[in-house]
Amino acid sequence: MNRVVVGNYYLPGEIIKDIKSKDRETIIGPGLCRCEEDANCLVASQAGYLCFRSPNTYWLESRNNRYVPKKTDLVVGIITKKSGDTLRVDLGSAESASLSMLAFEGATKKIKPDVNIGDIVYAKVLNAHKEMEPELVCIDQYYKAGRLGVLPNNGFLINTNQKLTQMLLNAENPLLRTLGRQFPYEIVVGVNGKIWFRANQTKEMLTLCKMFEEAKNQSDQVITNICRQLK
Amino acid sequence: MAAIRKTIISNCEKTFLMKNLSEWNRLDGRSFTEFRDINIVFGKDWGCCKVSLGKTEVIAQVSCELQQTKSSRPNEGMLNINLELNTMADPSFDASRQSDLSSQLNRLLEKCIKDSKAVDLESLCIKMNERAWSLRVDINVLNNEGNILDCASVAAITALSHFRRPDVTCDGVEYKIHSIKQRDPIPTVIHHYPVCISYAILNEGEYILADPTLLEEGVAEAFLTIGLNSYKELCGLHLGGNARLATKDILETSSKAAKRATELVAIIKNAVEKDTQDRLKLNDIGFHIMPIQEKIEKSTAELSICLDQWTLSKKGKKKKSKNEPMDVDPINENNSDVQQCKETITPLGNGTAKLSEVKGENEWAIVESDEEAEVIFVEPPKADTVSISDSNSEEEQVVVLNPQRLKKSPSKRKKNRI
Repeated sequence: MNRVVVGNYYLPGEIIKDIKSKDRETIIGPGLCRCEEDANCLVASQAGYLCFRSPNTYWLESRNNRYVPKKTDLVVGIITKKSGDTLRVDLGSAESASLSMLAFEGATKKIKPDVNIGDIVYAKVLNAHKEMEPELVCIDQYYKAGRLGVLPNNGFLINTNQKLTQMLLNAENPLLRTLGRQFPYEIVVGVNGKIWFRANQTKEMLTLCKMFEEAKNQSDQVITNICRQLK
Repeated sequence: MAAIRKTIISNCEKTFLMKNLSEWNRLDGRSFTEFRDINIVFGKDWGCCKVSLGKTEVIAQVSCELQQTKSSRPNEGMLNINLELNTMADPSFDASRQSDLSSQLNRLLEKCIKDSKAVDLESLCIKMNERAWSLRVDINVLNNEGNILDCASVAAITALSHFRRPDVTCDGVEYKIHSIKQRDPIPTVIHHYPVCISYAILNEGEYILADPTLLEEGVAEAFLTIGLNSYKELCGLHLGGNARLATKDILETSSKAAKRATELVAIIKNAVEKDTQDRLKLNDIGFHIMPIQEKIEKSTAELSICLDQWTLSKKGKKKKSKNEPMDVDPINENNSDVQQCKETITPLGNGTAKLSEVKGENEWAIVESDEEAEVIFVEPPKADTVSISDSNSEEEQVVVLNPQRLKKSPSKRKKNRI
């Protein structure tokens, strides 16, 4: 009964049988585990729709509202506490993350970045383990900031679900490009479901707000169709 | 209260919100006095309902058990209201048993429903000094998008009015509880329907926002919660936080809240009535038939408007900004100004602000204008409840804002009976 059907809805504990593999290997993504008893089976560990990409990749897509930190994720967080050399950052996950003051570009013991409580940072998850608090950095491996760092205070931050952020981060998705033809704006999408953006006028910012609210409930296909019609 | 709420709000959210409020705009496009849509769905059991206010969701369940009566009140049953805040609804909620916020919300709910004697506790008594029903309302917050209290108070009173307890017989010594299949369950007697209506106060009383969202709650300095029933009787008032608020503003807000309370009570009564009808017809009921399709069918028009018809949406915004100041503080503007606004707006038709809102100014402050009272008491009072509620209102705990109205109402009710 539980044959592998792409797009089917699975509940935690359900067994997914007869999976495709290549060279006896299958790549599994979030929401799935290996079945102990049967080699050719997977067990769902979350509720969600099964997705497949040929030749051998599987994952479950669910409507998550809470973020679970993962290594190398690019996230947007709010600074909640400042104590000594470390900052506490709220990512919307169960535990708040820590960010060192020295993990900014050009920061030393004497020269520290100007960060205040309530500021928004765009950072990378350095390590995340279930028994440790997640750690963030605002520099890459060459000690350069790149696009990471403190975001300006004249934007706006909204909380959405992770599905929308994944959709926006998909380079093929035309939503942001279509909107970009109407007015210029800056946007930072964190995979933890927080999106920061800035536009010239308040009206434009409100349009962005509304658009994300509407896009949340629509499927990928629908949005692509709408954007195509408008071209 | 402001200090209790620990929602993490960033500086940029705060500045953007304040900037918008200074232009009389709310982020979700509502006017200052507008509330979010309320939706009530009933579960399969008696006394189980889910209430959603915008995206805030709350589920309530009433349960009952036989208990020894209290020695202080030997002829009354008991009512407990318990609001649970769990981390599922909002990660910022404290996982420990009793946080300050939850005890405050619990107390406000208790004040609104229990202390206003909405539920007839005497009818819950089975044998004086021995056994009485103890009702317990469990409210769980499923999602927090601001204004839990309004949602929870609606859920509690809806669940209570929907609840039916099993029948009990006593043969002197033993009590026998009959199952619902054996004997028809008995509905709870509700004298009146009190609901909480909350307002957030920002910028030292300059902006008073009805039904605040999570962000607005986080930025707000103070909260004004008004408990009211459809007869405009005050069942609780709480002003938390620190803001300089004029008495005039409180009175004005409460007269607006009274209007909302009447609406809410009508919604609650309709929902309960509809569900009872469905049950009589033996229709399929329960959460499993909740309208899930609704979300999917939501038209894509809004999205395309956002994306493309920039000119159109621009126009829409302009219209709104024109309307809103009038809706928000009609006092500061001259009457002639309001009149002008009215004339320009009326031809626009649907989608513009409600003009009726402006009429309800200072209703409570002026005692003589009792035209409204006539309309209110047309609502059919339950035959059983009338006599008891009258005796209740004479007690010191019930606060009636308008003494004249009270005098009127019993006489009218008596007339009805004759």
